[in-house]
Amino acid sequence: MGLQENMQKEPVSRLAVREPVTAERETTLRQATTLMREGKLGCTVVIDQDGKPIGIFTESMLTQLLAENAAGIDEPIEKYMSEQWPWVRSTDPITDVLEAMELKNVRFLCVVDDDDRLIGLTGQKGLMEYIAEHFPGQVMVQRIGGKPYQQDREGA
Amino acid sequence: MSDQHFPSPEDFQDPLENYEPKTYDDPLEEALAEETVAAIRHEPYVSIPPDTPVHAAVEKLAGLHVACLLVEHDRKLVGVFSDRDVLERVSQEYDQLKDRPIQEIMTMHPFYVYETDSPAAALAVMAVAGFRHVPVLNLDDELVGIVSPQRVTAFLHSHFTS
Repeated sequence: MGLQENMQKEPVSRLAVREPVTAERETTLRQATTLMREGKLGCTVVIDQDGKPIGIFTESMLTQLLAENAAGIDEPIEKYMSEQWPWVRSTDPITDVLEAMELKNVRFLCVVDDDDRLIGLTGQKGLMEYIAEHFPGQVMVQRIGGKPYQQDREGA
Repeated sequence: MSDQHFPSPEDFQDPLENYEPKTYDDPLEEALAEETVAAIRHEPYVSIPPDTPVHAAVEKLAGLHVACLLVEHDRKLVGVFSDRDVLERVSQEYDQLKDRPIQEIMTMHPFYVYETDSPAAALAVMAVAGFRHVPVLNLDDELVGIVSPQRVTAFLHSHFTS
């Protein structure tokens, strides 16, 4: 099967779904960004008492905040989070992730189960890994970050 | 004069006559292997000089709504500064760092690809090395662009059959 066909048939749960960084409404952005650094993740999902997502705060929103009001980092996340959080169900096809990335320009997508509970996060990185895995003969053999072959060659 | 014998063109046997070029089952795999990074859109890109203050770089990222700036000196790539660098190196200490030059904070020696590399090379930097933005250089090592995940997905889409 080709990649296109696989992406239409395989579910989002087939992608690398990462453990999310979560915070409550009152968590300060300083605390949230510390957690994001520790988790090496570019976003925090804000959840309610039942574990359901109510908003998202991403690294690009952090850049906007620092540029406009750097002192905001000590305020609660609730004040700056976006209540529009892009999501997919774990059973949706992978093409939904591709579309969200290309059309809505999102970097992170919350993966939820049938009861709308947050299972994890996926996004650009998960999708790139999936494509790379699909073409190991092309992608996994690449020389990364060096000189092109013609400049590498030694001797005659 | 030596009595050399040259075969006539009719006698010449092409050593590659039995060569069979590689075939691909998937048109996308063919594109990943046979095309070049130049086939992926890699412009426009935003670059800044290495002495740019951190606050100016952060304002540029925010103002232009881009995720990554290329730090360029004399048309050569010297580093990158992205949203992730803001998160990991700047956000908690912004007041102390905002007037420092970006070259002290940026990611040095970033992974890059040449415009003559295959698209698969750009994907490898993203999927294997884990960098979402890949600078593109020409063979004179001059900066010519950047490939982002959106641009890769647009490239993939363009090779999908509708």
